[in-house]
Amino acid sequence: MARKRVDLDRRTVLKGAAAGAAATIFAPNIVAAQSKVIRIGMPTILSGRVAQLGTSSRNAIQMEVEKINAAGGLAGRQIEMVIRDSKGQPQEAARVSRELVNSDGCEILLDAEASSGSFAVQEVAKDLGVLVMHTNSETSSLTADPKIRIPLAFRSCRQGIHDAVVSGAYAAEIAKAKKINRWGTCSPDYAYGRDNTQLFVEYLKHFYPQAEVTMEAWPKLFQPDYTEVITRVLQSKPQALYSALWGGDLTSWVDQANIYALFSQMEVFAINMADYTVLTAVKNLPKGIHSATRYIKTYPNTKANAEWGDAYRARFKEYPTNWSWENWVGIHFIAEASKKANSADGKKIAEAMRGLKIDCPFGADGTVTMRADDQTVIGYAIGWGTTISGEPYVPEVTGAKWDTILQLEAEWKKRNNYT
Amino acid sequence: MNLVALTECLTSASCLVTQTTSGLIIGMLLFLVAAGLTLIFGVLKVVNFTHGSFYMLGAYLALTVNGLTNSYFLAVLAAAIGVALVALVFERFFMSKVYGSNVLMQLLVCYAFILIMDDAVKIIWGPEFKSMGMAAAFQKPPLFIAGGIVPVFYLFLIIVTLIISVVLWLIITRTRFGTVVRAAAVNPSMVSALGINTGLVFSGVFMLGGMLAGLAGGLAAPVRSLTAGMGFSILIESFIVTVIGGMGSIAGALLGSIMIGLVRSFGSIGFPLFVEGLMFLLMAIILILKPSGLLGKEG
Amino acid sequence: MLTARPNLARDILIAAVALALLLLLPYVWPNKMINDLVIRVSAFALFATSLNLLVGYTGMVSFGHGMFFGFGAYAFGLSMQRLGVSIPTAFLITVLSSALLGLVVGAISIRLKDIYFSFITLAFQMLLYSTVIAWVPLTGGDQGLMGGIPRPPFLGVDLSIEAHRYAFAVTVMVAGLLILRQIVESPFGYTLRMIRDNTERASFLGINVFRAKLTAFVIAGVFGAIGGMVMALFVSGAYPEFVNWTMSGEGIFMIMLGGLSTFIGPAAGALILSVLNDVITRGTEHHGLFLGAVILLFALGLRKGVTDFIADWLRLNREAGSRGGN
Repeated sequence: MARKRVDLDRRTVLKGAAAGAAATIFAPNIVAAQSKVIRIGMPTILSGRVAQLGTSSRNAIQMEVEKINAAGGLAGRQIEMVIRDSKGQPQEAARVSRELVNSDGCEILLDAEASSGSFAVQEVAKDLGVLVMHTNSETSSLTADPKIRIPLAFRSCRQGIHDAVVSGAYAAEIAKAKKINRWGTCSPDYAYGRDNTQLFVEYLKHFYPQAEVTMEAWPKLFQPDYTEVITRVLQSKPQALYSALWGGDLTSWVDQANIYALFSQMEVFAINMADYTVLTAVKNLPKGIHSATRYIKTYPNTKANAEWGDAYRARFKEYPTNWSWENWVGIHFIAEASKKANSADGKKIAEAMRGLKIDCPFGADGTVTMRADDQTVIGYAIGWGTTISGEPYVPEVTGAKWDTILQLEAEWKKRNNYT
Repeated sequence: MNLVALTECLTSASCLVTQTTSGLIIGMLLFLVAAGLTLIFGVLKVVNFTHGSFYMLGAYLALTVNGLTNSYFLAVLAAAIGVALVALVFERFFMSKVYGSNVLMQLLVCYAFILIMDDAVKIIWGPEFKSMGMAAAFQKPPLFIAGGIVPVFYLFLIIVTLIISVVLWLIITRTRFGTVVRAAAVNPSMVSALGINTGLVFSGVFMLGGMLAGLAGGLAAPVRSLTAGMGFSILIESFIVTVIGGMGSIAGALLGSIMIGLVRSFGSIGFPLFVEGLMFLLMAIILILKPSGLLGKEG
Repeated sequence: MLTARPNLARDILIAAVALALLLLLPYVWPNKMINDLVIRVSAFALFATSLNLLVGYTGMVSFGHGMFFGFGAYAFGLSMQRLGVSIPTAFLITVLSSALLGLVVGAISIRLKDIYFSFITLAFQMLLYSTVIAWVPLTGGDQGLMGGIPRPPFLGVDLSIEAHRYAFAVTVMVAGLLILRQIVESPFGYTLRMIRDNTERASFLGINVFRAKLTAFVIAGVFGAIGGMVMALFVSGAYPEFVNWTMSGEGIFMIMLGGLSTFIGPAAGALILSVLNDVITRGTEHHGLFLGAVILLFALGLRKGVTDFIADWLRLNREAGSRGGN
């Protein structure tokens, strides 16, 4: 019944079964604060080109909040999600977050914004002193840089530096075996694309010093036509190409590069390829593209992971995304920390969350840990493999070694004076 | 900035050929969208900001029809006809109501439509991006022409665009409709004094313009990812093209498209991080030197 | 005609009453969402009213006014972050640098007429936008200015306190509108109207049209930048969206919704668009559909801005009343 109301009102409000149904929709904050309900505000992107970030995050949260509420919610208080669209604009993300806390009575923020929005939400959380869980922003500095980091902010998703170490190590193995020395890069020209690519090159060279980058192409985000970029790549004939393009941009690029037969001329490493949205959208998926895992049912190859993927697919008639599992991690960390602290208070949850280890279908060893010193998640499953054109899309995945990641991350932090 | 790479490319035959062809390819697709935009402006003196949405709609219609019939040809046809009809409805019931008012009122109506169309596409086709896939006929290795690489599909697009340009030129210069359109562009009250229904002419031009945008969307669909809001960047670029070439001049649109295509393809070598800025710089310079555009008539 | 001569005392009185009401609002209606809304509307009201100095009063349809809003936000944010100056100094830097920007862009653009003026202002805005995106070390690129803008106290005002921030924003807005009001009601303001209605006649009467237009462009730019500064203070950052052409578009919609033939129209439009946006995004994720429908209703139903509509209605009533009296 609660779900029906959601659809009727076209409001992205999820309710716990115990919540007073009529009261909460129009309720002023006082009611929410006194009742047994705890509201969690979720600013995300539900419109425009990256609407899928929001919808797939919301789906995962919807599934998990139901489970958490059935198990008693946060210290006996049922969770009610209030989900709003920021349209992908940082200033709207800031406004929406303030509103969620100030007038909707949300006591915790689950920030499912892309990276630029997450910094805006971080500012609001700092201002208002609420607990915030960043679930989608992979930009390393958000939690690594002590100037930006705040005590009440956590991150439950993959982090750029981890991704780079894993990718560099994997690409270096291939490069060593096939003597690939001349590399090209083709990544979107914005913060994520630049940071990701620069770090990848750094770690590629770390593991395989003979590698050198002979060409770089920087298409714009959401560029419709990649022709000039593709011909440039073909002109300079690198032996391998690395790309941090993602989502719809990556599909366009693959479609366009395909008719130039680019994939038969070099090894292609597209870090964001192995996400179902891309894998299933591309009609003529070339074989043998190297990609890191984003969300894939076959890795980690466990029953828990496969079951979760199937349940998601059965319910929403689509595959989960990268963002779906990252939000799973976010909401479960809040729930487990609340259980440990036996409180729904943001500060107490934060205290309990530092260093907490929880069971997780997406953990490399079945668990993930919220590292205490920089409040970001580690131990999640990540690896690389090559694509085939149908299920299971990435049959073999080489998993990453977390001790290598952590060691190189520590050195990276030192170099950047982040310690 | 990387002037060394740019000089290297300009002195290497294969790089020159490849980048020039890629500039032409970019330009040709741009031209199809820009031609409709400039046609509508030339006759109706209306800046049709919904043109990008027409392009988007064309791509989505093609996707659906392609999925149903598995025929690229039918998909493109459906895109052209479907969007022409939508353009007709839009012109008759909305745009024609604000012809007399100032440009800002027209902008407002267009903006409302852009918002509505983007959401409608999201509701009908879903929020996730789509890809149409390449027809089997074009899944062939690219050709090598004078050291440059040209995919078969793009060769096809260039030929189709050229045919469309010629047909368009014939319609404008050789048919009665074209004569009336040209006359209406210069003096609409004279045309209506001659007993010709200008409202009908305007609708016809708007339909033709919309059809071109739909056609472009359908033709390009196999190499684009389809999302709500995809018309946006194409709108901006076709604006630059029409302004550079001269608002209202179809030949100018062709010239402008090729220029922008070349700026993109060579700019991405010399100024990889400022390609967009280069296009606007070019637009500003041309506006300063010749406000009516390269081939536009002095207003 | 009562308004033929500027009525400074009356304007100051109205401004003082409006300011007093706005300052009292948080005590009468202590709602943080309303406070936030008022701050944002203050920024947009300055932005839209300054744009209307060009569009409504001078007949110069700028498609690039967002350039100043964004420039103001970045100039202010960067002065605070990089130079570590006080807020009044950063304010002064913002005003002076945006005046300079207005002078340069205006001197080039004003020579162009009609739609070509619109397009060249758009081109300049997009050049600035591309620069902001590409100059990552200075501007943070697409991420915007991160890490927050410091808000050191000055003259007993501490903008890190919400109540102070609110009072500061509404004071700047009311003062800014009061100054703009004096400008449009001054002889210079009437010169601009004359240029709008008949440029040839104006230049025939010995008015230096270029200089008058340029002055209007610079003034509009400065107040647009002040609007951007208020916004930067509120969100504690500056984002490329502020410089993007969508910002200029929103300014135009505010004017159109509020009405461009009354002084207060654009400010009213800023309020209407902000409230519409907030209400619709709260209620539905298909806000494009709803916002689009509402705008269509305005454009095709009302056919003018809200305040234009009210002003016309009042005039009609008055005329009907006086006719009835006779």
